[in-house]
This record gives sequence, structure tokens and C-alpha cells, in this order.
Amino acid sequence: MADEALFEFLHMEMVAHVHRSSAKDEKDQCISTLEALGFRVGQSLIERFTRECSRFKDELDTMKFLCKDFWSSVYKKQIDNLRTNHQGVYVLQDNKFKFLVQMSTGKQYMECAPQYLAFPCGMIRGALSNLGVNCIVTAEVSAMPACKFQIQIQRT
Amino acid sequence: MTIFNFYLFDRHGTCLYYAEWNRKKQLTMSKEEEFKLMYGMIFSIKSFASRLSPTDMKEGFLNFTTSKYKLHFFETPSGLKFIMNTDLSVGNMKDVLHQIFSSLYVEYVVKNPLCELDQPVTSELFKTKLDEYIRGLPQFPIKATS
Amino acid sequence: MSRQGNRAGDPRKVNGELFTLTYGALVAQLIKDYENDEQVNKQLDKMGYNMGVRLIEDYLARANTGRCNDFRETADVIAKVAFKMYLGLTPVVSNWSAAGDEFSLLLESNPLTEFVELPPGHSNLNYSNIMCGILRGALEMVQMDVDVRFVQDTLKGDNITEIRLKFIKRLEDAVPVGED
Repeated sequence: MADEALFEFLHMEMVAHVHRSSAKDEKDQCISTLEALGFRVGQSLIERFTRECSRFKDELDTMKFLCKDFWSSVYKKQIDNLRTNHQGVYVLQDNKFKFLVQMSTGKQYMECAPQYLAFPCGMIRGALSNLGVNCIVTAEVSAMPACKFQIQIQRT
Repeated sequence: MTIFNFYLFDRHGTCLYYAEWNRKKQLTMSKEEEFKLMYGMIFSIKSFASRLSPTDMKEGFLNFTTSKYKLHFFETPSGLKFIMNTDLSVGNMKDVLHQIFSSLYVEYVVKNPLCELDQPVTSELFKTKLDEYIRGLPQFPIKATS
Repeated sequence: MSRQGNRAGDPRKVNGELFTLTYGALVAQLIKDYENDEQVNKQLDKMGYNMGVRLIEDYLARANTGRCNDFRETADVIAKVAFKMYLGLTPVVSNWSAAGDEFSLLLESNPLTEFVELPPGHSNLNYSNIMCGILRGALEMVQMDVDVRFVQDTLKGDNITEIRLKFIKRLEDAVPVGED
């Protein structure tokens, strides 16, 4: 039973490691490495979550699960606001995102925020993919520690 | 009662953070010189105290008083040194300094990956939180003048 | 309508799994990135060290214990307070050297390896090596230079997991400029 601080420090060090071991102008590469790590974790985590529960009624029900149960287990709080355009785009807003809350309450360090959001984006994508939803997940920060995750469902 | 200023040193003697509140008199020397003097003085008092009392050093030295100010000191086992100068009427500040360590430094510096631990603290959030905390203390006068 | 209760179960348990799974993903990535097991071990140790130097401050803030008097007390505190706090388990302190400068932490279970099987061809991989780094980094911050390594690992078929800690020297505070 690992303490949550351990996970936080591990995530910090993972981000630092990925940046240390890549060339200076490969920022996109770092982001995608972290995203891929998050994807794997999200996938295996969701298996353990949903082992014993019934299937979701629809896409919105899946999103609600993500905002409530998944989020509070991983980040110890729920998503503050869920919006959708009913055409396959969902926006999840967390007003105090766990990985940003100790950094800043304004513009400071804003340029570094994306590297701490790649793993969480990957986790969302991994979790949803295991629930049969293919999507693209991006994150946007306008004032820390608030953060918006945008989920775009891919229907093919 | 009032609080004059606050210093945080790491175990290498680097001043990680400095802030002042009701400090009226400005020094003629540079801040860097003052930090060096302060670290040097603390270092000397510590070794003086440990030589006088080599067996009972769990607490170490806690504070000293001059005719003008009182210096409060708290050190973590990791060698972080928290120092605060107040006027003479202020009592024991050990809990306050410990609180600055555990609720502010650990939360907003140690858990902020963008803060290097052996470099001066640049986090605005830490600065704001510390300032709020100090101004909210009963030892801080209600009518702040600074 | 909306489902009642938290279907995710015990959040503390989930957090443990989150850490274990994240660590697993990281090791898998390192195996891909580096040529051999020794290099992976080294990276894990280095990453652990970086975590340890921060983790110790979190530990000191929460545990509020003072400085240890000797290495025996340190061993006890690591096993009974620190492991308990961060991993929810208490290893057994044992196998003290005659000089009292070396001991082992014996772990019957290891949360890091909960869902893990070592892939074939990685017999030199110390899967949980991050723990050594964490201990080394954390102890260095409290002025102890300590060598930390795995000597037994249940992942490799041993009956128990054993981490060996050897005290090397005490580190001193920096002397101010112009004094000695």
C-alpha cells in the first residue's frame, strides 16, 4: 500500500528523467514518452477498477465515472466541471489539479505545466481505451492550478 | 510584539530564502554579506553549544536574546536552518518555525519539482504563503507598518 | 440513474496499485531505452536518489522524529516508521555485522513487485533498485553516507527480499567561509 507522496515523487522524477535523457529540442518527444507511460498505467489501472461492476450505460456514463470515481481514487478529488458539446467532445475541468497545486497560483512556471500534464492525459486515454472508447486527450492551462482536459472521441 | 525577519539556510550555508517585515533599520552591508555573517554566527553558536553540552544535543540551541532582539532557531535533521528575529516580548517560536518547514517548505518547495533544493527559493507561491502565514500570527502586530 | 458509492473501492489500495503500476511502466520503459540490466539498475538507483533527497523532508515533516543517536536507531526508524509510512509494511532488521556498521532489511512481501514477473533474459535486473536509491538519497540528507544494495530478491527465486545497508561515513555541515 504505497503512500500517495511516493507516487507524487515518482511522477516528478519520471518527468525529470525523461527530460534529462533526451536532447534539448525534443520537447514533443518527452511529452509523447510520458503520455505513452500514462496510457499503459491508465489501461491496467482501469482493469482493476471496473472488474466487478456492470457495463456503462453510455458514453456520458463512462465520462461521469471518470470524473468521479477514477479521479477521486487517483487525485483524491473529483473533477469540478464536466461539459460536452454532445458531438464527441468532453471538457473536464479540475480547479485544483494535484500536480499543479504545489507549483503556482498564477502565471509562474506556466511554460512548464505541459510536461506535468502529459502522463495524466495518457492515463485518461488509456483508461478510456480499455472501456472501448478511442479518443485524443489534450490539456490546457490558463491559470494554475486549474486545468482543462479535453477529450475528443474518435469514431471510425 | 513583532517579527523582524526570517532566514532559511541549507546545510551548505546557502541562504535559500530571506524575508523581512518590521525591519526599520537598513544595513550598510550587502544582503550576501549579511547572510554569510548570519550563517557563520549560527555555525559558531551551534558548535559552542555542542562543546558545552556534548551529550544532550537532541534539541540543540533554540534561541538567544540581546538587548534589542531575540533570535529563534530551528534545525531539521537534514540540516535546514530556520531563523527568525523578533522583538523581546515574543515567546518560544519553535512551533512556528517547525510549521514553516512542514506546511510551507515541504508543500511548496520540496513538492514543487521546479524548485531545486540547493538553490534559493524562487517560487512565488511559497513567498505568498509564508507572508500570509507570518502576518496571520499573533506575534505579528495587528497594525502592520511595513 | 447515477450509481451509488465509490465503485473504485478502497482509495488507499488504489493508490498503492497506482504507484506499483506506474513503477512497472517506468521499468519497462528503461529496459527498452538502455542496453543492459546494469545500466537500468544504475538509472533506477539514480532516480531513487533524486526521490530520496525530497522524500526525506516530507518524512521529517510528518514523522517529527529527532536526529538518531546511532546506526542501530537509524535501522529501527527506517523499518518501523519510514517503511510503515510509505509502503505500509515493516521489514525485519537483521544480520548485523560485528562492528555494527552493516545490517539487512528483510521483506517478506514487496509492493513494488506485486504484479510482476521478471522477463526472461534479465537475470541481472534489480527490479526494485529504486528503493536503494531512495534510501541512499534520504540518508545522505541526514548526514549519513550509506551503501545500499539488494542481496536477495524473491523475484529472482530467493525466499525473501533482502536489502543490505552499510554505513560508510558521517557527513559534516559546511564550514562557513573564512573558518575551519
